[in-house]
Amino acid sequence: MKFVRVNMTDKTIKIEDVSPEYAGLGGRGLTSIMINNEVPPECDPLGPENKLIFAPGFLTGTSLVNTSRISVGAKSPLTRGIKESNAGGSIGASLGHLGITAIIVEGQAPDGDLSLLRVDAQGEASLVPAQEYQGMRTYALVEKLLAAYGEKSSVMCIGPAGEYRLASASIQSTDVDGRPCRAAGRGGMGAVMGAKGLKALVVDQRGKNPDVITDPQAFKEAAKAVVEAVKADHMSAEVMPALGTAALVAPVNAMGAFPSYNATKGQLDGWEKISGEAMAEIIKERGGNTTHRGCDQCMIHCSNEYVDKDGKFITSSLEYETIWSMGGMTGITDLDVIARLDNLCDDIGLDTMNTGVAVAVAMDAGYKKFGDAEAAIEMVEEIGRGTEFGRILGNGPAAVGEHFNHPRVPVVKRQSIAAYDPRGMLGNGVTYATSPMGADHTAGNVVGAYLEKKLDPLNPEGQAETSRFLQIAMAAFDCMGQCFMASVALLHPDGFGAFQKLIEAKTGAKFEDGYFPFGMGTRILKAEKEFNRKAGLTKQDDRLPRFFYEEPLPPHNKVFVISDQELDGVLDF
Amino acid sequence: MKVKVKLYGTLSLQVPGYKPSQGMEVEIPDGATVKDLLAYLEILETRGAAVIANGRVLKADDKMQDGVSVDVFQSMQGG
Repeated sequence: MKFVRVNMTDKTIKIEDVSPEYAGLGGRGLTSIMINNEVPPECDPLGPENKLIFAPGFLTGTSLVNTSRISVGAKSPLTRGIKESNAGGSIGASLGHLGITAIIVEGQAPDGDLSLLRVDAQGEASLVPAQEYQGMRTYALVEKLLAAYGEKSSVMCIGPAGEYRLASASIQSTDVDGRPCRAAGRGGMGAVMGAKGLKALVVDQRGKNPDVITDPQAFKEAAKAVVEAVKADHMSAEVMPALGTAALVAPVNAMGAFPSYNATKGQLDGWEKISGEAMAEIIKERGGNTTHRGCDQCMIHCSNEYVDKDGKFITSSLEYETIWSMGGMTGITDLDVIARLDNLCDDIGLDTMNTGVAVAVAMDAGYKKFGDAEAAIEMVEEIGRGTEFGRILGNGPAAVGEHFNHPRVPVVKRQSIAAYDPRGMLGNGVTYATSPMGADHTAGNVVGAYLEKKLDPLNPEGQAETSRFLQIAMAAFDCMGQCFMASVALLHPDGFGAFQKLIEAKTGAKFEDGYFPFGMGTRILKAEKEFNRKAGLTKQDDRLPRFFYEEPLPPHNKVFVISDQELDGVLDF
Repeated sequence: MKVKVKLYGTLSLQVPGYKPSQGMEVEIPDGATVKDLLAYLEILETRGAAVIANGRVLKADDKMQDGVSVDVFQSMQGG
């Protein structure tokens, strides 16, 4: 257990013990509580006072399955509030195997100065000049880095968008095959990394110094219970390996909540062509992989490898949210184009969601027609080239809306919504409005409650409570490094109990009943809300854009009807 | 009564010869519920089936209507 503090101003690296206030924390819990403790809330997100924290989950690096998640946290240049964005791939496990609790990047390199941070198999960290990689896109960059540092390396890096410090810039993470196709996409973490002058983290995968487990037998038993729960869950064990997250296109569209044509309709014409079922069919016909392991220690294999007509790799993994942002929102119903746009975003280092929605807002404003595939590709390429309009697009939908004076901009705290319209799924609207992260489906996605008939998506009753429960649970799971696809199999008292036992077995400490997820999740959310308040965000920032309250969404023709008062109570701890 | 059914996710794999573009028509007794339909289709509860008609998720004891078109999905918690 150790912190690696990297100062980009004077290029020094310090190793610190983990202080007691961070005991039992990892991932989002660690990044958010540390940012709230150490980052001046009113600072410039792209200035030297901000800190960029990379934290694998508390259980990452252990033998527990599905734990190779890493959280990246900082003050966000997009939302101007606290941000945690997490990614899969292999780097979380690599850091966990080295016993590194967090890498904290501070200060700022002089303009134009670029470095990479290398962590070797002994856990020794060093800053290496990276001027030669300036401006490189991520696929070419990773190829060079793996050649230089060996195939047994995990990489997180930025592309041109991060170097331009754009608010939609992602940090890309390599999958188990060494491709930079997983992303900490949301909230412009790539821009913060670019502003620090850090092009990449390169971490050796052969570390053999993970944190000590105090009670290995108890850990093993609790880990086994998690495996059994994941195996027994139809989503984790059955749907995810077959279709991946893209399986959601059909049901969400059928429920009339698939935001289409910049959220002017809840169903997309031609949705069948971009459904998970259609995607699987295309991939199979062409010899790609519908089932693929993207992340270390994964037993779900929700990833896929999308290939072109000649069987050549286009992208991995094509996900629901990207199919929606680049397809539903833009009216593009050609999966080959959507896959190409996904790959372009990964290569340039962009959040596919914020970028797709930015393109859709531009189309809605009349810049191009909905469904114009060539125009969408050219717009994303413009971001990569850093043209004037490309930089506006790369700053996200809110920047595009301002540029065109176009009012229909589906964002909260300037971050785009996800693939569930708040008028067709009220609870998702509650999460978008109230999450300290801005509009974020991973913070508390209510779609499962609708499909399981526990809640009516169009009836206000129970939406706030469900969103609150999920936001607390997800904050806690994000702290553990547990993948969302596995967490969903554990959203019940037995699953929570297994996690509490895992934490106790690792730390040797005993926690009060319900500590996981309620005690932990609440503590994290409180810290995040406190930071946002001190950063100047108010209740008015916990609202959806006006059009969601005013423009009925076909086919149900409903508007968002959760009151401000109810929204204010959701996370009022 | 006759009901038009389309299967999604991995549910279609259990019906030999199922064509996704066409779906299938099934005949079930008058007054049959969603639960009865799923039993007829041999879809076990553990598969997490969600039946949607006219944009609404139906409950297990909702009665089926003659001639209705339903989509049968597997529930998911997010993506």
